[in-house]
Amino acid sequence: MSERIARLEQEAANLKVSTSAKRDGILQVVGALAMVAGVVIAFVAYQLSLDKADDRDIQSLIILAVSMLGLSVAGAAVFLRYSLARFLRFWLLRQLYEGQANIDRLVGALGQPNSSEEHEVAEPEASR
Amino acid sequence: MVSPVGNGRAPADTPLLELVGIRAAYGGIDVLHGVDLAIPPGAVVALLGANGAGKSTTVKVTAGLLPPTAGKVYVAGHDVTGASSHDLARIGVCTIPEGRGVFPNLTVRENLWMATQVSGRLDSLEEGAYARFPLLAERRNQLAGSLSGGEQQMLALSRALVTDPAVLVLDELSMGLAPIVVQQLYEIVAQVAQEGISILVVEQFARAVLGIADRAAIMVNGVVAHAGTPAELQSELSSAYLGETT
Repeated sequence: MSERIARLEQEAANLKVSTSAKRDGILQVVGALAMVAGVVIAFVAYQLSLDKADDRDIQSLIILAVSMLGLSVAGAAVFLRYSLARFLRFWLLRQLYEGQANIDRLVGALGQPNSSEEHEVAEPEASR
Repeated sequence: MVSPVGNGRAPADTPLLELVGIRAAYGGIDVLHGVDLAIPPGAVVALLGANGAGKSTTVKVTAGLLPPTAGKVYVAGHDVTGASSHDLARIGVCTIPEGRGVFPNLTVRENLWMATQVSGRLDSLEEGAYARFPLLAERRNQLAGSLSGGEQQMLALSRALVTDPAVLVLDELSMGLAPIVVQQLYEIVAQVAQEGISILVVEQFARAVLGIADRAAIMVNGVVAHAGTPAELQSELSSAYLGETT
């Protein structure tokens, strides 16, 4: 017993309480902002480059535009990562509950002494 | 109640799990109004109360599924308020949720595998689980969803126990089960308690659990209204379940 408690005490002492839910939300917003800002800045930089006569200015603005496109791609990846994680968690939970409900219904139907009567009763509900 | 400590080493009498002034809400609706509860090392504590008293919400806070709006959760004297459910499970606070806490589309064996996360250890852990629950050995390749309610609870218990927890939180173990099955399950819980695992049993039906509990607490309207030994609480039970709060 003491070994188990000692392990718990040590694990609890080393536990770093994370606020991952808040962090996920923040990163999702940051990703969306980076995605939008990257595209906007890249477009503005490209437009500005059209008015420049000096090759060095044009190159600088094009480099900025390409960099911003990179930022946009990275932002999209971050946004997708954290928004899909939340969506997939809910999807997994829903799958589990629906699977449980289906199996309960099947097991219940198989356990009925007269399954044909049960089928007639259950059919209108299933067709809804 | 023993005061929580946060200085690294937990004295022997420090509760393994302690809730101090826990408040919790769903949306804007307060459900818990300052719950104080302590689980001493090696003890079985029963948390009783009528439907809607806040028992399952207390379990959710304890398991890290619902962050409290106020109050602290301590494990072995260390503040773990706000810790996630998987972190708490990893350090040894294992919760079996209300209803059937199994994966219905996985077999018994796969359910046990899900708990271990380490494939190399599966065989030995599996044999340990089957030694405790021989019925599960016969059904190791059967889908968990097709097991009876009692068998599913046995599977949930065995899956929790293969992780070798220090604290086990059981929420409404008897829900939807025949009295004879409930009795069998609580006999198993008593055996588990004898191995030194501290257990918090949340139960609506007091008689089922008081026989194995060292201490009990009765929740009424989101607070622990009475606490003591099962013998001390016998007189309080009827009033708590009939809705009297004083």
